[in-house]
Amino acid sequence: MSVSVLVVDDSAMARKMLIRALPPDWDITVTQASNGAEALAHYRQGVVDVMFLDLTMPEMDGYQVLETLRREDLNCLVIVVSADIQEAAQARVRAMGAIAFIKKPVDAERIKAVLKEYGLLV
Amino acid sequence: MTIEFISEEQREALQEVANIGMGQAGASIAKVLGEFVELSVPQISAVGAAGIPAALAALAGDGIASAVRQAFIGELRGEAIVIFAEHSADDLAALLAYGDALDGPASRELLLDISNVLVGACLGGIAELLRTTIGFSAPSLLADQVASSQLLRADGISARCALLVEVRFGIEKRVFRCHLVMLMPDDAVAALRRALDRFVEEL
Repeated sequence: MSVSVLVVDDSAMARKMLIRALPPDWDITVTQASNGAEALAHYRQGVVDVMFLDLTMPEMDGYQVLETLRREDLNCLVIVVSADIQEAAQARVRAMGAIAFIKKPVDAERIKAVLKEYGLLV
Repeated sequence: MTIEFISEEQREALQEVANIGMGQAGASIAKVLGEFVELSVPQISAVGAAGIPAALAALAGDGIASAVRQAFIGELRGEAIVIFAEHSADDLAALLAYGDALDGPASRELLLDISNVLVGACLGGIAELLRTTIGFSAPSLLADQVASSQLLRADGISARCALLVEVRFGIEKRVFRCHLVMLMPDDAVAALRRALDRFVEEL
């Protein structure tokens, strides 16, 4: 069964860069959202298995999304994809439940490694 | 404000590239200061020469500000200007445990150093993504604690219009705030457009 992936970033360009860096052989259905509020709305409409989440966004940022997911006990694997590469940012999002932190510009190999680590990709 | 001289696709690419450069700059000063640095979403706009001083004043907000300028040269060229909110230098000095009473020269030196780190990391990151190299002039003080409306004088600007790329840095629970602005004269924007097209094609 294909994996439902939600890509959340305010930049259409960044979403495009990320989607192109996903493994071509990964069986997925991709949905996109341009801010945190939209992401949560998508999430609540159905199933999201994996969320690629940007941190710096207008409306509702990535931290607020992580907070909401945790508070409301919502369940999906969140991989933070951010240009904010401060060590403190990485530690913060991990403490908030993200399974991984991927630096922008995204590296296809790094994404593959994370997906394999979590058994999302064989 | 409409952007007349870059396409929507080029603007989006520039915004993302600036976002990544800003992230690298933020990480660099976070390391220097030992603090978590808050980043904004980069803003891009095109302004006529006459509008540049007002645009910078609007960024700085009301009150007193200081600014450091640094030219960049290469395929991409223009001026990077870092605008510091009032008391930013004192705040930096406190963070770096320099003691609370910085004299004028030491305080100016600190702003030059921080600007150098920010501009080098941010523009260096942008240039790397766009697969080009740029060089930098030494930073110099453009304005020292002046009213924000006096940061830059219109007659000091040679370009007819400029592309303004703005990123903002702040530190939680501190007064330190600064903006990094890239000003590119219209004749340098053609090179930027080519570099952005290249970047988009290679995606």
